[in-house]
Amino acid sequence: MNFVTLLNYPIYLLIFISIYGCLTIALNVQWGYAGLFNAGVAGFFAVGAYTSAILTSPAAVGRIGGFSLPVPVGMLGAMLACVVAAWPVGKVCLRFRSDYLAIVSIGVAEAIRLVVRSEEWLTNGSRGIIDIPRPFGDLPYAQSQVAFLGLSCLILLVVYFLVERQLRSPWGRMMRAIRDNETAAQAMGKDVPRRRLEAFILGSALMGLAGALYVHLTRVITPDAIDPMIVTFLVWIMVILGGSGNNRGVLVGALIIWVIWSASELVTDQLPADIALKAKYARMFLVGLLLQVILRLRPEGLLPERVGTAGGSGDLGRTSPEAIAPSEGSDDV
Amino acid sequence: MTALLTMSSISGGYGDADILHDLSMEVGAREIVAIIGPNGAGKSTAMKSIFGLLTIRSGTIVVDGTDITGWAPSRIVRSGICYVPQVANVFYDMTVHENFEMGAFLRNGDYSDALERVYEMFPDMKAKQKALAGSLSGGQRQMVAIGRALMLDPKVLLLDEPTAGLSPKYMEQIFQTCRDIRNTGVALVLVEQHAKQALRFADRGYVLAAGRNRCDGTGVDLLNNRFIAEMFLGA
Amino acid sequence: MDISSFINFFLIPGIILGSIYALGAIGVTLVYAIMRHGHFAHGDLATFGAFMVLLFSASSGLSPYAALPIAAVAAGLMAIAIDWLFYTHLRTLPKIITTISSLGVALMLRAVVQIFWGVNTLSYETGIARPENWFGLRIKPHEVVTVVMVIGLVVALEIFLRHSKWGKAMRAMSDNPDLASLCGIDNRKVIALTWMLVGALCAASGFFLGLNTQVKSLMGWNILLPTFAAAILGGVGRIEGAILGGLIVGICEEMSVLVIRSEYKVLSGFVILLLALLIRPTGLFRGKVL
Repeated sequence: MNFVTLLNYPIYLLIFISIYGCLTIALNVQWGYAGLFNAGVAGFFAVGAYTSAILTSPAAVGRIGGFSLPVPVGMLGAMLACVVAAWPVGKVCLRFRSDYLAIVSIGVAEAIRLVVRSEEWLTNGSRGIIDIPRPFGDLPYAQSQVAFLGLSCLILLVVYFLVERQLRSPWGRMMRAIRDNETAAQAMGKDVPRRRLEAFILGSALMGLAGALYVHLTRVITPDAIDPMIVTFLVWIMVILGGSGNNRGVLVGALIIWVIWSASELVTDQLPADIALKAKYARMFLVGLLLQVILRLRPEGLLPERVGTAGGSGDLGRTSPEAIAPSEGSDDV
Repeated sequence: MTALLTMSSISGGYGDADILHDLSMEVGAREIVAIIGPNGAGKSTAMKSIFGLLTIRSGTIVVDGTDITGWAPSRIVRSGICYVPQVANVFYDMTVHENFEMGAFLRNGDYSDALERVYEMFPDMKAKQKALAGSLSGGQRQMVAIGRALMLDPKVLLLDEPTAGLSPKYMEQIFQTCRDIRNTGVALVLVEQHAKQALRFADRGYVLAAGRNRCDGTGVDLLNNRFIAEMFLGA
Repeated sequence: MDISSFINFFLIPGIILGSIYALGAIGVTLVYAIMRHGHFAHGDLATFGAFMVLLFSASSGLSPYAALPIAAVAAGLMAIAIDWLFYTHLRTLPKIITTISSLGVALMLRAVVQIFWGVNTLSYETGIARPENWFGLRIKPHEVVTVVMVIGLVVALEIFLRHSKWGKAMRAMSDNPDLASLCGIDNRKVIALTWMLVGALCAASGFFLGLNTQVKSLMGWNILLPTFAAAILGGVGRIEGAILGGLIVGICEEMSVLVIRSEYKVLSGFVILLLALLIRPTGLFRGKVL
């Protein structure tokens, strides 16, 4: 066993962390900066994955496709498809209280799951799409993995810097002003629903990009590959643990949570089959519990939002977002 | 005269900044006390401080010999003091009758005598008892709110701007109601914008400015005080 | 299609499903009215209740119907415990944080069910369920039981809220929590009472769902969407709205196969939710919290 194969597992981990990192930044744009509760992260992730798969894979019997387009085109297509999916959702829901968006986004994810499963002409149903091209796929396995890691990290970096730049711009300041005090922002003549829609669409497009990245890694996609509840929930817990509103924080969250999640999988895989199944569910239970613990002990996350990090000129004059700042003494008398 | 309600040297506010500074006040049995002052003087805040709705940093509040400083509102109600907020002071989706019943929530056993007294005081409400409180006019809602607070037979009743936004006719009616309530043995504290009218019918008044005691005295004295008249009564 | 097959194949199943959604939607609406947040663990609490019925009937030999009250109490206590453990300390934060927390609770409840019962499909032992013919209408005995018991529960809840002291206290707190505490109503007690009722309603909806379909770990999650659709369509905070909304969603779902493929039937509630938000976001009976 040489040095490179020894590194196979960590590299595999890091690729997934970079993909989830992309998802956390996407969700951070929606939740951390715009205060939008998107509970359908997995849905947009799947749309991106399938779009890029269909655009780039060779022809197959029984479904549309055979476009064999280059991977970057597939990625762009994935983002575009998510924009198209996000626009009507945002248009309908962003006027209302935030949990309405949440319930509708759960519905969107469910609808996407059903379409993927049922529309064989589009997605090949439960058989899935195979032979999806992979960048650097011609290299030997280990080198190919390293090269893919390089690609996914590059994409993550580009996403990070573009989002950071966007958030430092007047647009980003306006976003946070809207999140912290919608009424005041409205009174100042800001077009609140429009700004929110923009944030929602931007975040969704980035989720699609992450989906494309994922599908070009695995080269195969089936409806069961993406468990909506787990993907969505993991991304949420990464964002909340890392620190909503802080892009570096959510990346740290992605790192920690994915390592814990994968390590626990290693453990449960060692168990005898009958216990392993139970352990798999126990793992889900613990992830749910972890969220409760974070919300209880550190609702602002490991790296809380700091005005100035992402925000520029200290316009809000606070150190942590009111949205999640813990306050002492409950009033529920 | 032994005081029924005593506020001594209260300082406090909602967040970090104090709104009230070293504020003191006394209310005797069967007394009507008006709190007046310009906008932002802390009149309503003073009243809320009595009811435990803001953070008190120093000072004490004693009702009938019991120190209630720092108690939760739902506990303060039991000490014989009731409070009618200025806005949102009735349950809109409940009937007039149910509003009164809610006022008696802490009473165990039969409270039909209290209900009867309230309907006697507000005969108009007898006919409206099945109407939703949210469907009533502002003046009628104020009666429901006061009636609700009377259901516990309080010793002291706090009214935050009971006449705000009411026509002169209703205003006079509310003042008359206050006198009736006092005649049943209850002390009243009112925060009032209509300073002149309030001082005319109150036994005593406290004038606040910037969260501090400015001056106090009998209603008549304050009305005749040239300084007060110029500063606050717009005379 | 003649009228009797319409009734047999669409209306009756729709009413059954709608009654189940209505029970869930009443719970959702109560949580909105008192605690003022969306509760996404609602479906999985129903699953928990359904499995509690299974547990109590299997362990004691009781019929599932007799086990329902015990399971309802168990689910109610579970809801109170969840609130006490996870939601109480979030009460001063924006409500959406509690909603996020409830999503985690949903995952935890489901995991508990899966650990103890696995993911296989189970069912209640209620004997033979052959449809009986009532003047050309084919109705199964447990369908009659479902509707009768749902009506009974709704009437009992309505009487409790209209005429009992604590029922009125719940309405008062829903209306104006600050004023309620000025009346001496202890908000914490009302919250605990509400969770007890919500848990019991969840158990009932889960039980009736299991009785008319199957008992499985995802059953509750799958009815979350139509349940919320029913609550929002009816008008959030309105019990009568939740009932009407539940029936509309249930009947529409059963009839949807006339126009769309059956795979997409479960999305009917979602479509109704979108339409409600587009056309009448306050719901049929103007909800008060939006």
